[in-house]
Amino acid sequence: MVTASDTAAPILETRDLTISFGGLVAVNGVDLRLARSEVMCIIGPNGAGKSTLFNLISGIYRPTRGQVLFDGQDITGKPVHRIAAIGIARTFQSSRLFNDLTLLDNVLIGMHTRTRSGVLDALLRPGRARAELDAAAERAEAILHGLSPALHARRNTLAGALPQADRRRLEIARALASEPKVIMLDEPSSGMDDRDTDALIGDVRRVMAEKPGLSFLIIEHDMRLVATLPDRVTVIDYGSKIAEGDYADIRVMPRVQEAYLGQRAANA
Amino acid sequence: MSATEELRASARPSPLRSLATVIAVELAAAVLLRLFLLSDDTAVIVALLALMGAGFALLQIRPAIEDAIVAAFGEARLAALLLGGIIVLAYPFFLNGSSYALHLLIIAQLYAVLALALNFQLGSANIPNFATGASYGIGAYTSALLAIHFGISFWLALPVAALVATVFGFLLGFPSMRTKESYLALVTIAFGIVIHQLLNNFSWTGGPNGLVGIPAPILFGHSFARPLEVFGHRLPSQANFYYLSAALVALSILSARRLHDSRVGLAWNALRADELAARCQGINVVWYKMLAFGVDAFLAAFAGTVYAFYVSYISPDNFTFIVSVTIMTMVIVGGMDNTLGVILGAFLLTLLPEKLRIFSDYRLLFVSVVVILFLVLRPQGLFQQRARHYGGK
Ligand SMILES: Nc1ncnc2c1ncn2[C@@H]1O[C@H](COP(=O)(O)OP(=O)(O)OP(=O)(O)O)[C@@H](O)[C@H]1O
Ligand SMILES: [Mg+2]
Repeated sequence: MVTASDTAAPILETRDLTISFGGLVAVNGVDLRLARSEVMCIIGPNGAGKSTLFNLISGIYRPTRGQVLFDGQDITGKPVHRIAAIGIARTFQSSRLFNDLTLLDNVLIGMHTRTRSGVLDALLRPGRARAELDAAAERAEAILHGLSPALHARRNTLAGALPQADRRRLEIARALASEPKVIMLDEPSSGMDDRDTDALIGDVRRVMAEKPGLSFLIIEHDMRLVATLPDRVTVIDYGSKIAEGDYADIRVMPRVQEAYLGQRAANA
Repeated sequence: MSATEELRASARPSPLRSLATVIAVELAAAVLLRLFLLSDDTAVIVALLALMGAGFALLQIRPAIEDAIVAAFGEARLAALLLGGIIVLAYPFFLNGSSYALHLLIIAQLYAVLALALNFQLGSANIPNFATGASYGIGAYTSALLAIHFGISFWLALPVAALVATVFGFLLGFPSMRTKESYLALVTIAFGIVIHQLLNNFSWTGGPNGLVGIPAPILFGHSFARPLEVFGHRLPSQANFYYLSAALVALSILSARRLHDSRVGLAWNALRADELAARCQGINVVWYKMLAFGVDAFLAAFAGTVYAFYVSYISPDNFTFIVSVTIMTMVIVGGMDNTLGVILGAFLLTLLPEKLRIFSDYRLLFVSVVVILFLVLRPQGLFQQRARHYGGK
């Protein structure tokens, strides 16, 4: 567990990160510092700008203002595939698997940046390309098995046929396959019942133990997960960071309660 | 374990049965194709089509049969390859010396190559490209010009033309950096039309009259324009090009399989399924799209070169937009990203119009109806993409 996260050099940092869509400022001057090995949860009401923040970090959106730094390097405006290659993996709020491919192929594609063979290797040096892919497939199987033996048993079936909870699990497996330094999970427990959520918490704990250097950025609504997993919690409302710290401290802050109560009032 | 997996497991243990299945399927295919090629009777052709339709309907109702056949071919792979090779080599000897049947086979094989070329884009990566006909033409014209004006041999013109077409292919793929899917399709249509117009209007391409007098290839002193004598058996001169195009099909199949079962094939499939998710896995989508354009053009130019040297006369009208659309239909009917399906689609759509000449004006209508019927029977194409296997499993 990391305590003095402010003193350690952060693996991921955002400075004054801002994006507006027309008149709407979806993310507004957000400063984040994610330390190595840290687990940070991002919470906030619907439409607060959490997913947009992920899209900014992974390069899908270009910020109107501000910067994203990875390991001290400015990565603002880099193409999405480059940002993935340097070690930021993610999942999506509504999971985006390669539905017409097998589970194993999904995880293998997650290893794209960890394998090298190009078109000429495939055509002219098939033995070498094949050996690389076979070795990758072995690792992919291990990742699947490590996350869930049940998923591993279905490795040769199509991803499109998976139930919701397994889709999320497979997306995490695919993200892990790239051997990232930072993994961003967008509402991993959505669409899961309590039992699945417990399993998910177990999965994340296991990955934390196996990959000590890995940092997590997790958007969550499920308060059981938020209460147990993260080192720190960041609260976002209307695009701005309104609080940061221990879950125990955060939950009693008037501003945070207001944000959630306001939402509840609006939803009612 | 799903039903198909159980079946695979149960179909595995008997190598003898696999061998029998392989022999039966390959011989049946060869005999049916021969009937189709040599028959002048429309009733026979329609009956054969109906038989084929019934076969696919059966496969659709009982997927277990297809799985069993696939498993058998997997089990007896070497025997299947060997027998397939022998059938292809021996085929011209069983066509009653018909040069017309050989001609049809050459054209069908060239279209099989074109369809396999496009399959890298349309099938693997779902990039609509309406310019495969143009790449085919660029290959044909490049090699023809090299041969006519510089006396360069077929064997050297072949790779040079392919490289030239590949450069054009990459250029064509360049807009994929900016434009979205549907616009990219428009760009390829425009490219095809521009190439056709240029070929029509330049004087050095012979304008609408095209190029004539492309010399036949010569291999070890044997001119491809002369009949082929094997073991005292005399085959029409078309046999030379039959074997040449068969070799090209074999090369295309090999390339298709190697690329499909590679990191590149996986990346193409990823961007076909979900482009944004593919980018988030570190896949440089623009590069892989351009690469698909390049590979498509490379293979299409091979087919173009063989075509030019075969007919010895080419004109812009051999390489129109309609040609591109036909190739596209072959891929869709055959089944996206399935090598065998794509080849079958190419054979069907080349041979059928030829054999239905009796319907004259209604020929294309009839072909379209057949295509639609097959797509109703097999919505995913005649054959579907097969799962990859790793580690020799
Ligand atoms: N591409 C876009 N164009 C215009 N508006 C956008 C775009 N993406 C997001 N928004 C808007 O930005 C705001 C923040 O959206 P975002 O999806 O980031 O919220 P969120 O915090 O993830 O909410 P939820 O908990 O519902 O997932 C919303 O008002 C949304 O409509
Ligand atoms: Mg969201």
